[in-house]
Amino acid sequence: MYALCGSGWGAVPVIAQPIQRVPKASDLLEWMRAVTERADREAFARLFEHFAPRLIAFFARAGLPRDAAEEVAQETMIAVWTKARLYNSAEAGVSTWIYTIARNARIDRLRREGRRSKLETEVAAEDDEGFDMSGEDSLLALERDERVRSAVNVLPIEQAEVVRMSFFAEKPHAEIARELGIPLGTVKSRLRLAMAKIRAAWEIEQ
Amino acid sequence: MTAHRHPADETLVAYAAGTLGAGPRLVVETHLGGCSCCRKHVRAFEAIGGALLESEAVEQSPSDLLSRTWARIEGLPKRPRAAAALSPEPYPGAPELLRHCTIGPWRFVQPGLRIAMVTPPGENEASAMLMRVSAGRRMPKHTHDGMEFTQVLSGVFYDASGRYRTGDYIEADDEVDHQPVADEEQDCICLAAIEGRLRLTSFVGRWAQTVLGF
Repeated sequence: MYALCGSGWGAVPVIAQPIQRVPKASDLLEWMRAVTERADREAFARLFEHFAPRLIAFFARAGLPRDAAEEVAQETMIAVWTKARLYNSAEAGVSTWIYTIARNARIDRLRREGRRSKLETEVAAEDDEGFDMSGEDSLLALERDERVRSAVNVLPIEQAEVVRMSFFAEKPHAEIARELGIPLGTVKSRLRLAMAKIRAAWEIEQ
Repeated sequence: MTAHRHPADETLVAYAAGTLGAGPRLVVETHLGGCSCCRKHVRAFEAIGGALLESEAVEQSPSDLLSRTWARIEGLPKRPRAAAALSPEPYPGAPELLRHCTIGPWRFVQPGLRIAMVTPPGENEASAMLMRVSAGRRMPKHTHDGMEFTQVLSGVFYDASGRYRTGDYIEADDEVDHQPVADEEQDCICLAAIEGRLRLTSFVGRWAQTVLGF
C-alpha cells in the first residue's frame, strides 16, 4: 500500500481548482476509498485540498503558531496517506477519522518538541488487510457523523462554549471554569448535558 | 467526592479532545481496552472533533504545501518499521497496552504494597504507576493533589465508597481522603495516575511521606 504509484509529483495539480465547492461526506469517503485501495494520488490531492486548510485553522485555534500549525497539518496528511489502510469506514466518517489523526499528531508534536517525529514513519504494516468500505455500514457511519454535527450546531450557547473550550484549549476544566468565571461543577454539568445530547444523536440507528 | 466505575463524561471528552496528560490517558486507554461501552462513547465524542474540523473556516494555505507534503512522503522509509519489542509482562496476564510501555522494577513501599513506575509509549518520563496490594492489606491513607485516575487490572479492592472489581475504573478528586483495602481472596493490581506532570522522585517521595510520616 505504501508504494507510490502513478506519475511524478508534477502531474498533481497544486493550485486550487478555480471552482470551489464543499465536498459532501460521500465524496470524502469516495476519495478516501481510492487512497486506501489504489494509493490514488489525485484522490489524496482532493482530500488534501479539503482538509489541509481546515487542519491549519484547527491547530492555530488550538494554540499552535502558524508555521507549526502548517507543519502538523502536513504531518496529519502524511499519516492519512501512510495509515490509510487502518481507516474503517464503518466506525467513523472521514472527517472524524482525520480528526483523530490530527489529535494524535498534535499530542505527538507537544510531546516531542525538538525530537524526531515517529508518527509519519509508522506505516501501516503490509499485512494490514484494510476494511471493506463498500457496505451499508459506511453510510450509517456517515449519517451518524452528520447527526453529531447537527447536534453540535444546535447546542445552547453556554454548552457549545464549554465543548469548544474542551476541544481547543489545552486546559483542565478547572481553568475553563476560572476563565468563564463559573464554578467547576457548572462546567462539568454543562459538559454532561451536552454530551448526553451528542451521545443520543450518535446512537440513534435509523 | 466522586467515584465512578467508568470514566466520567468529561474525562472521556478530554480523552477524545487529546487534552488528558500522558498518565491519565494511559489509564483511560487501559479502561477502553476492556470496555466497549466507553469506546462507543469516545467515538461519539470524537465525532464532535470531526464536526469542529469540518466547520473550520477555510484559510488560504501555501500553494506548495501539497508538493512539499509529497516530497516528505517520498522521503519516508519504504518498509514499515519492525514493531517495537514488547516489554516483559509486569505480572501474568497484563494487558498488551502495558507491554508497549516501559515499566520499572517492582519496588517495596511498605509491607503489602509494591509499586512500579510506568512510562507510556513515546514518553520519556514515568507518568503512571502500577500498584500491587497484597490480599487483605490496606493502602496508606492518602489524599490527592489533583484528580486521581485508577483502573483495577486484577483483583478487587474496596473503600468507603464501594467495591471495585477487575475492569473497574475510579476517578477521585482532591477532596477524597480514602484508604482502599485489597480483597482477602487475592492481590489487587491497579494502574494509577494523577493529573499534571509527575516525577519519579516526587511520586516516591509522596508515598514515603505517607508511609514514614515525615
